[in-house]
Amino acid sequence: MNPIRTILKYIVSGLALVVALAPVYWMLTISFKHEVDQFAVPPKWFSFSPTLEHYADAFLGRSFGQYLVNSLVVAVGSTACALALGTLAAYALARFRLPRKLDRKLALWILSTRMMPAIVTAVPLFLIMRDLRLVNTRLSLVIVYTAFNLPFVVWMMRGFFAEVPRDLEEAAMVDGDSRLGAFCRIVLPLVTPGLAATAVFCLIVSWNEFLFALVLTQTDDAMTLPVGIAGRVTQYGIKWGAMSAAGVVAMVPILAFALAVQRYLVRGLSLGAVKG
Amino acid sequence: MGISLTNLTKTFGDSTVVDDLSLEIADGEFVVFLGPSGCGKTTTLRMIAGLEQPAAGDIRIDGERVNEVPPQRRDIAMVFQSYALYPHLTVADNIAYPLRVRKLAAAEIQKQVSQTAALLEIESLLMRRPRDLSGGERQRVALARAIVRHPRAFLMDEPLSNLDAKLRLQMRGELKRLQQTLETTTVYVTHDQAEAMTLGNRVAVMNRGKLQQFDTPLEIYNRPTNRFVAEFVGSPGMNFIEGHIDSSPPAFVRDGLKLVLTEDLLNQSGGQVSCTLGIRPESVRVSNMQTDHWMAATVYVTELMGNETFVILDMQSQRIIARTPGDFRAETGSAVWVDFDLTKAHLFDRDTGLRL
Repeated sequence: MNPIRTILKYIVSGLALVVALAPVYWMLTISFKHEVDQFAVPPKWFSFSPTLEHYADAFLGRSFGQYLVNSLVVAVGSTACALALGTLAAYALARFRLPRKLDRKLALWILSTRMMPAIVTAVPLFLIMRDLRLVNTRLSLVIVYTAFNLPFVVWMMRGFFAEVPRDLEEAAMVDGDSRLGAFCRIVLPLVTPGLAATAVFCLIVSWNEFLFALVLTQTDDAMTLPVGIAGRVTQYGIKWGAMSAAGVVAMVPILAFALAVQRYLVRGLSLGAVKG
Repeated sequence: MGISLTNLTKTFGDSTVVDDLSLEIADGEFVVFLGPSGCGKTTTLRMIAGLEQPAAGDIRIDGERVNEVPPQRRDIAMVFQSYALYPHLTVADNIAYPLRVRKLAAAEIQKQVSQTAALLEIESLLMRRPRDLSGGERQRVALARAIVRHPRAFLMDEPLSNLDAKLRLQMRGELKRLQQTLETTTVYVTHDQAEAMTLGNRVAVMNRGKLQQFDTPLEIYNRPTNRFVAEFVGSPGMNFIEGHIDSSPPAFVRDGLKLVLTEDLLNQSGGQVSCTLGIRPESVRVSNMQTDHWMAATVYVTELMGNETFVILDMQSQRIIARTPGDFRAETGSAVWVDFDLTKAHLFDRDTGLRL
């Protein structure tokens, strides 16, 4: 390939990376800078003496530790529920034919719920949760996030299941396995890349969700990180240091999970076809 | 003992894929379902396995009606056309799968797997994964997985069709030896008539969902019940000439072609006037030299196979294929002389196709 094109490619990608990562880097440095350095002009990109006071403030002085725990519980909980329910539904939709193409219509209907602007349901959901006495609990968030993640899980996993040849389950059943056994032992191991990708997506969506966390939680007991961090903007002042510290910590679990799961995303590509 | 199908019917929407099929397979027999694509042979096999439900009719295995029994409990093993090996498991785990599902002891599983691997000569492959194996090796693994639990019957869906020609011939022989050793009832589906003829104790020829003939290979070859069977079995296929029978002198006539009929053939025709004459290529004799009573023809093309030569002839506006010894030579367009061995000929009804 033309060397000039290669250089241009690298320059453009480099620029894109810089644009994307600059805010992250800035947040990282703010969290480690003394308040004085935070607003220095010209901005201190590298030359500052770091401090951990903001981390201490956020997690020991204020309740960011609690927010972190809440976010973890809610995100992991809703992802697990959505995956469990959605995967089974997706398998059924991928494998079983219903009369009058009901399976196709059902799949489309499930996906269509994702097309609706979520804000429309904010007030009704609040009222439902209030009647169920679930306002300001982590459970309410788990329920709502599961509901929002389900369509995506169903749609994604259905595609992955459709890729697994029916022959394999039939062979397993003739070999003596039940349908569920064939599903667990043969089909699931073959769709782990799909599960991994879907799980990452669900986690990210749940982790970053702001609107419903704001509507449905009121105190520190149930508040998640996005709401907690945004709450640092008060009429008395903006605690940039604590916010940045919390923001950095908020990034870590998702990054760690994505890295851990990465090899499952790649594995599926090397399993190869069923027949020669 | 064995498998028996009674009035088996299967429909997909409006089309009837298997139409009122009835046959009995004896215990230990190797039966081949033969027919063109779409004739219903694979669907019938899948119904025996329990992977499809019949619309009507009964399936009995060892005398027990199994229509409602799920595939897991029918105690039959299936080899799929695609082999359907579990890609994420090693060869050893693939073979062990049916035993693991039945919760056999680990030591027993180990023993059975080794024995079966030895029988199929795949011990060296046990730790590999399906993606690292060649087509022939995968096929042996699929067979091993079917054999390992000693089922009541084997069902095979075109297991050789994905192999190259040489390997296919080799595996054909090995499959036959294997079945004779194990003495297990086997149902084998194929569209390759050579496989059907060489492997089966009996062959069931099917077309468009209906059973055409169920007989030993030799009977099907020498006494086909109808034109379809006669045309399908044998390669190159039978020659067909449409014409009518003159009563005196008794001869089969078509345009300028006049063949004096044998008494047998005349009796067979039962007074039918218009019919079709069928004669296999090996019963057509060709000579470069003019001989008494032999008919004139022109060579369209010859195919030199080495051990024999196929001569495609134009004869009175008919195209006929003849099998000649390997040393026969004739130029395209040259004149040759042809004789039919009518003791090996058949007559078919023009409309129904039945052999007369």
